[in-house]
Amino acid sequence: MGAKKVKQALLSVENLGVSFGGLKAVSNFNLSIEEGSLHGLIGPNGAGKTTVFNLLSGIYSADTGQFRFEGKELRGLRPYQVCGAGIARTFQNIRIFGELSALDNVQVGFHQGCKQSYWATLFRTARFRNEEERICGSAGELLEVVGLGKLGKVRASDLSYGDQRRLEIARALATGPRLLLLDEPAAGMNSSEKVQLMQLISHLRTKAKVAILVIEHDMKLVMGICERITVLDHGEVIAVGTPSEVQHNPKVIEAYLGVE
Amino acid sequence: MKSLSKNAFLVSVVFILLLAALDSLLGAYLNPYFLRVVVNAGIAAILALSLNLVSGCAGQFSLGHAGFMAVGAYVSVALTSIAFPQTWFSSGLGVGAACLIGGLVAGVAGYFVGLPSARLRGDYLAIVTLGFSEIVRVFFLNLEWFGRARGVSGIPKESTFFWVYLWLAVTFVVLWRLMRSSRGRAILALRDNEIAAEAMGVNVAHYKIVSFVTSSFFAGVAGGLFAHYQGFIDPQSFDFSRSVMFVIMVVLGGMGSLSGSVLGAFVLTILPESLRVFEEYRLILFPLILICLMIVRPQGILGSREIWEWGRKK
Repeated sequence: MGAKKVKQALLSVENLGVSFGGLKAVSNFNLSIEEGSLHGLIGPNGAGKTTVFNLLSGIYSADTGQFRFEGKELRGLRPYQVCGAGIARTFQNIRIFGELSALDNVQVGFHQGCKQSYWATLFRTARFRNEEERICGSAGELLEVVGLGKLGKVRASDLSYGDQRRLEIARALATGPRLLLLDEPAAGMNSSEKVQLMQLISHLRTKAKVAILVIEHDMKLVMGICERITVLDHGEVIAVGTPSEVQHNPKVIEAYLGVE
Repeated sequence: MKSLSKNAFLVSVVFILLLAALDSLLGAYLNPYFLRVVVNAGIAAILALSLNLVSGCAGQFSLGHAGFMAVGAYVSVALTSIAFPQTWFSSGLGVGAACLIGGLVAGVAGYFVGLPSARLRGDYLAIVTLGFSEIVRVFFLNLEWFGRARGVSGIPKESTFFWVYLWLAVTFVVLWRLMRSSRGRAILALRDNEIAAEAMGVNVAHYKIVSFVTSSFFAGVAGGLFAHYQGFIDPQSFDFSRSVMFVIMVVLGGMGSLSGSVLGAFVLTILPESLRVFEEYRLILFPLILICLMIVRPQGILGSREIWEWGRKK
C-alpha cells in the first residue's frame, strides 16, 4: 500500500468535463501533477483555464469525469471541503476580504485548522487564547513570506493591486495546501514585481513543498518556471509536455497564431 | 486579551452589583417617564445588536427581526400569563426563565429562516425574512388563545432596568467575543466575499445559519423582556415598521460596529421622545434629521469602528 502511494500522482484528473447549457466549456480534461512539481496551464482567452480551476476547487460541479487528490475522490465536494483536503487557490479577478485587515485576511485561511468549540470561544479559555495567538503569529509569518510584513494592519482594499495578489497567495497558503492553484498571479504586475513573484513561487516549492498549478499569460514567466505545461483550447487539451516541446508543437502555434 | 477567568468572574460580580445599585437608585430618584425611555432604549439596543450580527457582520439583509421578537414575546407570555398564571412563572426568576425559553424558541425559528439564506441573497433574502415576520404576526393575530387582535394584558411586569441591562451586557459580550475569534472572522469573510470565503475553507452555509440562530435568540429574549416590561402585547406591537426601525438603528450606528448599534438604538429611542416639544411636527423633524445624518455620514455614526476607536482611521 505504502509503495503504491509513493508512485501515485498527487492530483490525477480524468476526463473531467462541464457544459453550461449547450456550451461545452471543458471536456475530456486530463491532468496529472506530481508531488512538489510546478505545472503550467496555458491557452488563448476563453479556452476554459479558469473553468478548470473552478472545477478543481469545487466551485463548479463537473458533469463528467473524476479527479483524485492524494488518492481521495474530490469530485462533488463543496469548495470548503476541497480546501480542507489540501487544494487552495487564488482568483484571477481578485477576491480578497476588502473590509478586513491584511492580517485578518490571512487569519481566515487558518479557520479550518482551528478546532475551538463555541463554548471556548465565548469563555475565552486559555487554549482558545493560545490558538488565537498562534494563528496571529503564523499569519504574520506568511505575510513576511510574500513580502507584506509591514502591511498587516492595512485594510485589504487599500492595498495596491500587486499586493492584493500576494495577499491572496498568503491567504491560500494559510489553509495548509499540498497543491496551490494560482490563477494569473502576474496579471497587472510590473516587471520587477514579476521577478519577485517568480522568486516567491520557487521559494514555495523548495521550502514549503507545495505543488503548484499555474495559469499565466506571461510566456516568459511560464516557460521560465514550469516543468510541464498543459495547453488548452476550446475546452480541450491540445498539448502536454515540457516548455520547449509545447513551444514547437504545431497545434499550439495554430491555436495562438492561427494558420495561413 | 489577558482576561483571566478569575478576573472575568470578579468583573461580572462587580458589574451585577453596580447594576442592582443603579436599578434601585434610578427607581427611587428618576422620573418614571425617563426611566421608561431608558429601559426601552436598552431593549431596542439588544435588538439592534442582534440584528447587527446578521446584517452588519454576516451581510445578510434581514427585515424580519420584529418576527423573532414576537416569537420570544408570545412564547414567554404563554408561560407566565396563559399556561401557568399566578405560579412560579409569574415571579421574577420565572419570568427570566420564560424569556430564556422564548429566546430559544426564537432561535429555532431563526434556524429555519436561516436555511434559505444559503441560496438567497440581498433583496430575495429580505423578502423571505419579511414574509416570516408577517406570518408570525398574522399567526398570533388569529390565535384565540392569545386574544387575537385584543392582545394579551395583565402580564406580570417583572422585567426591570436591572434585567434589561444585564441582558444587554450579556448580548454585547457574547457577540463581541464571537466576532473576535476565528469563527467571527469567518462570518466577516463571507460578508466580504462568499466565494473566496468558501474556497478558503469557511463553511458559508453553516456560518450564515449560526449568525441567524444567535441573532434570533437574543431578539427573542428581548421580545420577552419587552412583553414583561409593557405588561401588554398585541400583534400590532410587532409589525413591519418595527423591523424597519431596527434596521435604521443598525445603519445609523454603523454596520458591523457593536457599540454603534447600541448608540443607534439609544439615539433613535431618545430622539423621538426629545422632539415631543414640537408636538405633531416631530413626525416631520425626525425623518429629516435621519436624512441629514445619512447625507453627512452614509457609513453611519461610527462606520465599522467601535466607539472607543473614535477618530482612528480605518
